[in-house]
Amino acid sequence: MSEKAHVASGDDHGHGHGHGDASPFIQHHYDDAQHQFDSGKFGIWLFLAQEVLFFSALFVAYVLYRYHHPEIYAYANKYLDVKMGAINTAVLIFSSLTAAWAVRCAQLNQKKGLILCIAVTLGCACTFLVVKYFEYTHKVHEHILFGRYFDPCVSSGGNSLLTKNNECPGAKGTVEWDYSTAKPIAGCLSAMAIDVDPRERGIQADCEVFETSGSIQKDKDGKEVWVEKSRKPITNRCFDAVFGDPVWGGGDDLSSPATETGKDKRPNDAFPCWNPSLQPAVCKDGWFFSWNCTGPLCKALSGGEGPFDTLQKCKDARSGKEGALKGEGTPWVSECTAGHGAGIVVEYGDHALRSSSTTRIKAECKGPPPPPVVPDPLADKPQPLELGQKAVTSKRALTHHENIVLESHGPPPEHTGMFFTIYFAMTGLHGVHVLFGVFVFIWLLIRAVKGHFTPDYFGPVDFAALYWHIVDLIWIFLFPLLYLIH
Amino acid sequence: MATNKNKERNDGPVNEPDYLNVSKGLKSWLTTLDHKRIGLMYLFGILASLIIGGVFALLVRTELMWPGQTIVDQDTYNKFFTLHGAVMVFLVIIPGIPAALGNIMMPIQLGAPDVAFPRLNLMSFYLWIVGAIMLVITIPFGGLDTGWTLYTPYSLESKTAVLIATMGVFVLGFSSIFTGLNFLVTIHKFRPQGMGWFQMPLNVWAIYATAIMQVLATPVLGITVLLLSVERFAHIGIFDPTLGGDPVLFQHFFWFYSHPAVYIMIIPAMGVISELLSVFARKPLFGYRFVAYSSVSLALLSFLVWGHHMFVSGQSRLANMVFSALTFSVGIPSAIKVFNWVATLYKGDIRLKTPMLYALSFLLLFTIGGLTGLFLGILSVDVHLHDTYFVVAHFHYVMMGSTLVAFMGALHYWWPKFTGRMYNESLGKICAWGVFLGFNLTFLPQFVMGSRGMPRRYWDYDAQYEIFHQLSTIGAFVLGISLFVSVCYLMASFWTGKRAPRNPWGASTLEWQAPTPPPLYNFEKPPVLHELYNYDDLVEVEEDVWERRAPTESEPSEVPGNAHAHAKGATEVPTAGNPVPDKDDEETEEPTEHPRVTATSEDETKPERGAIGTAVEPPSEKKEDDK
Repeated sequence: MSEKAHVASGDDHGHGHGHGDASPFIQHHYDDAQHQFDSGKFGIWLFLAQEVLFFSALFVAYVLYRYHHPEIYAYANKYLDVKMGAINTAVLIFSSLTAAWAVRCAQLNQKKGLILCIAVTLGCACTFLVVKYFEYTHKVHEHILFGRYFDPCVSSGGNSLLTKNNECPGAKGTVEWDYSTAKPIAGCLSAMAIDVDPRERGIQADCEVFETSGSIQKDKDGKEVWVEKSRKPITNRCFDAVFGDPVWGGGDDLSSPATETGKDKRPNDAFPCWNPSLQPAVCKDGWFFSWNCTGPLCKALSGGEGPFDTLQKCKDARSGKEGALKGEGTPWVSECTAGHGAGIVVEYGDHALRSSSTTRIKAECKGPPPPPVVPDPLADKPQPLELGQKAVTSKRALTHHENIVLESHGPPPEHTGMFFTIYFAMTGLHGVHVLFGVFVFIWLLIRAVKGHFTPDYFGPVDFAALYWHIVDLIWIFLFPLLYLIH
Repeated sequence: MATNKNKERNDGPVNEPDYLNVSKGLKSWLTTLDHKRIGLMYLFGILASLIIGGVFALLVRTELMWPGQTIVDQDTYNKFFTLHGAVMVFLVIIPGIPAALGNIMMPIQLGAPDVAFPRLNLMSFYLWIVGAIMLVITIPFGGLDTGWTLYTPYSLESKTAVLIATMGVFVLGFSSIFTGLNFLVTIHKFRPQGMGWFQMPLNVWAIYATAIMQVLATPVLGITVLLLSVERFAHIGIFDPTLGGDPVLFQHFFWFYSHPAVYIMIIPAMGVISELLSVFARKPLFGYRFVAYSSVSLALLSFLVWGHHMFVSGQSRLANMVFSALTFSVGIPSAIKVFNWVATLYKGDIRLKTPMLYALSFLLLFTIGGLTGLFLGILSVDVHLHDTYFVVAHFHYVMMGSTLVAFMGALHYWWPKFTGRMYNESLGKICAWGVFLGFNLTFLPQFVMGSRGMPRRYWDYDAQYEIFHQLSTIGAFVLGISLFVSVCYLMASFWTGKRAPRNPWGASTLEWQAPTPPPLYNFEKPPVLHELYNYDDLVEVEEDVWERRAPTESEPSEVPGNAHAHAKGATEVPTAGNPVPDKDDEETEEPTEHPRVTATSEDETKPERGAIGTAVEPPSEKKEDDK
C-alpha cells in the first residue's frame, strides 16, 4: 500500500533517502525508523482514544435506557445465547494473545512465527464473525429485532407462530371506525385479546392508532372497497377515564365530576388522543359505556343514538351484574350490548364530529400474550418422570421465543425492542470493527509473507495489535453487559 | 552556508522549484502528499463552500426583508436557513482555519518538512470532499429543513434528504478527526530540537488545542449521526419516542460534540489573532504562557458545558445549574486572552495592514460575542432569550464575526507566503472595513430584536421588527459583497499581484524564513530559531520587505543548525556556533546539531532529533521536554 501510494504521487515521500540500510519503508519526512515508529504509535493511541469516544455514546445510551427500563433488560436478555457469546469472548481473548505474540515475533525477526501468529489472529477474527452470523440470522428469523421489528410471534414469512398453548401471544387485530356512518368497519378485538387482565388498569395490547384518509373505490369485481391513502398516527394517550383519577371533563359539552369537585382540567391531556381502556368500543358487538353528555362526540360514540342525559341501567362487562353503577350523579351511565368486545376511542379536543366520508379511525393492536400456563408435568405423562427426562415433549422444535414464553412470567414489557436496538447497535458496530480488523490482518499477512517486517520496521504489526486489543476490550465489556444480566 | 545570514533573509534565486511548480498536471495535485498543496485544495473547497453558504445567507436575509412572503415560501425558507447553517458550520468554519490554513502553515511554523502522516492528510481531504458533496447534493434531492442541528424527532419525520446529509456529516467528522490526529502527532513529534512547548508559535498552540477536541469530541458526533441515519431507514427507535427512545438523548450527544465544535471554530481563530496582533504591533505577545494555557483550558472546558444548549429541553434543575456555572468558567480563559491581546497592543508600533484590520475587528467582535454569551449562560435570562435572534446574533458574533474575520485575516497574512503574490492592499483595507461595518449592521439589530422576542428561524414576523430586519438585510449585503470582492482580488493576485518577498510583514516565526512560496519540503536550508515574537532585529528595508539585521554584539549570536536534516540541501554539517546561554535543558546541552543519524535501529536508543539552531530563550522560561 505504502509503495503504491508513493509511486503514484509526484512527491516521493517513500524509500527513505539517506537512511542507509534501514528498512525501505521508512518514509522520507521522518528522521529515522524510531521517529516513524514513535509517530505511528502516538497516532494509533490517539485513534484508540477516538474509538473509545466513538463507542461511548452507545454505552451512555445503554446505561440510560437500562436505568429507566430495567424490566426490558431483565426480560430481553433471555433471548441472547450466552453460549455463543462465551465462545466469542474466548476466541477474541485468544486472538489478542496471538496478536501480541505477533509483535514479539516481528521484534525478534521470527518470520515464521510472525506469519503463524497473524494467521491465527485472522482465523479467530473470522470465527468470531461466523458465530455472530449465526446469532444474527437466528434473530432475524424469529423477528427478535430492534424497535418496532421486535415481534417474536411472527415468523419471517409473516405467519403467526403457534406457541404451545396453540395461541400466539400477541395476536394481531385491527379495529376501524368509519365516521360517515359512525360505525365500526372491520374487526373487533376480543376483550381477551387486548385486555388480558381486567383487574389491571387499561388494556395491555400494544396498539397503534391512526386517522386514515382514503376513498371508496371499486375493485375488479365491482365491489366497493376502501382504499387507504394516507394515515396520520395519533400517538397521545388519553387520560384513563375508567381507572384513572376521575378528575376530568371541563370541556364544553362533557359534564363530569370535575365540575362537582371544582376542578376543571383534565391532567396531561393532548388532543387528539386515543383511549386504550376497555371502554366505549368501536366494535359493533362490543359493549360500551357512555357519558351523560349531549355533545356530538357522545353521539358519535353511541352510534348516533345519543344524547344520553339520563341514567340508564347497564350490564357491567366485568362483573356481569345488571344495574346502575354505584353512585348517583356519576357520569358512568352505561349502555350495554351483548357480547364482549373492546376497542379504541379517539377523542378530539374540539369535540367536533368527524363526519367526513374520507376519514376513518383505525387501530392496529397486538395483544399481549396470555398469562403463562405452567405446564403440569404430570398432565402428559402419567408415569413419574425419570431423571433428566423432559416434562413436556412437543411435536416440533420450539422457537427460542416459545421456550422463553414457557419459562417467563408475563408478556414482554413495553418497548422490549429497545434492548435489541442497543444490542444490534453495539454488537453491530463492534462487528464492523472486527471486519475491518480482518482486512487489516489480511494486509499484514501479505506483507509478512513478503518479509517486509523487520526489527527495524514492525510498526504496522504493533499498531494493528493495539487496535485489535481495543476491539477485544470493547467485546469484554459488551459480553457481560448484554448477555450476562439477570 | 548555514552560517551565512544574508542568505536566509534575501529572497534571491531559489535553487529548487517551489511547491506549486514542483510537478505539473492535475494528477500531481490530486495525488499529492504535500501538506501545502492539500491545504491549498482545502482552501479552494472552503472558499467555494463559503460562496454557497453565503448565497443561502443572503437568500434568507432577502426573504426577511419584509414581513410575509418576499421571495420564497415557508418550506423553502426552512431549507435555506438549514443549508446555510450546515454548509457554513461543517464545510467552512470548522475546517476553515485548521484544515486549510493550518495544513499549509502549521508544519512550516514548526520547521517540519510535512505533517506526520501525509497519506492520512490526503485521505482527510478526500473525506472532506466526499462529505461536502453529500451535503451539497441534498439541494437537488429535496434539500434539508431540519436546521443544522438535526434535532430529533423532526429529523426522523422530515421528508427532505436527511439521510444523505447525516451521512455526509459522518464522513466530514472523520475528515476532521484524522486531521486533528495528524496535527497532534505532528506537533508532538515534529518539533525541532530547540523548540520546546513554550517556544511554539501561539497559532500552533491553538491548533494543538483544536486538535484535541477534534479527536475526542467528533467521534461522538460520528456515532450520533450514524444512529440517526440508521434510525431514519431502519427505525431502530433509539431516538424515536414512539418506540421508547429518547429524543433529548440526541440533543445531549449532539451538543457533546457541537459545543466543543464551537471551540474548534474559535480557538484556531484566537491562535491566528495572537500571531497577527504581535506582528503588527511589533511587540512580543503579552502573557505568552497564559494565552497558550488558555487555549488548552478552553479546549478542556468545552467538554463540560454542552448542557447550556439545553436549558429549556427538560434537563433537571440541578443539571441546569451545574452547566450554567461551568459555562461561566469558560469566560475566564476567554477573558485572559482578550486582556492579553489588548495589553499586547498597548504602546505597540501598530501597523494597520489588512490582516491587522481584521485582527482588530476580531478583538471587538469577539468581545461582544463572548459577553453576550454570558447573558445566555444565566438560566433565568436564557429562558427568555432561548431560540430568539439574540442567540442568532450571539453565535454569529463568535462564529462569523470572530472566526470568519480571523480566517480572512489569516488568509491575507499568509497569502503572500503560500501563493508568492501580494494582493491589492488598498482593496484589502476597503473590504476589511466593509466586512466590519457590514457585519455589525447585520447582527447588532438582531440583538435588539432578539431581546424583544423575535424568535429565530421564523419566516414571518411582527411589524415591530421590520426595521431591524431591514437593517440586518442591508448589512448582510454589504458583508457579502465585501467578502466576495475579497475573494476576487485574492484570486486576481495570482495573475496581477507583484511577487511577494520572503518576509513581507516582518514576522519572526519560522514560516517567514522559508522561500516564498516554499519548496516541496518547505526549507531549502534549515531555518534558524530566533526568539519568538521578538522583532528587535527585524528592520523594514523597503515597503513590505523585512530583513533581519546582524545581531548586536551584546546579544548571543545564533547557532544555526539543521531543522530537519531532510530539508533539502541540508547535507552540510553546520559549524558549531556559540554555546547556548541557558542550558537548562538536556537537549540544548549539545550546542550543535547532530548529523542525521541514519536509521540503524538495532540499538534501542532514540537517535537525537535534528536540531534547529539556537533558541535565544527568555531565561525565565524553562523549556519542557517534548515528550
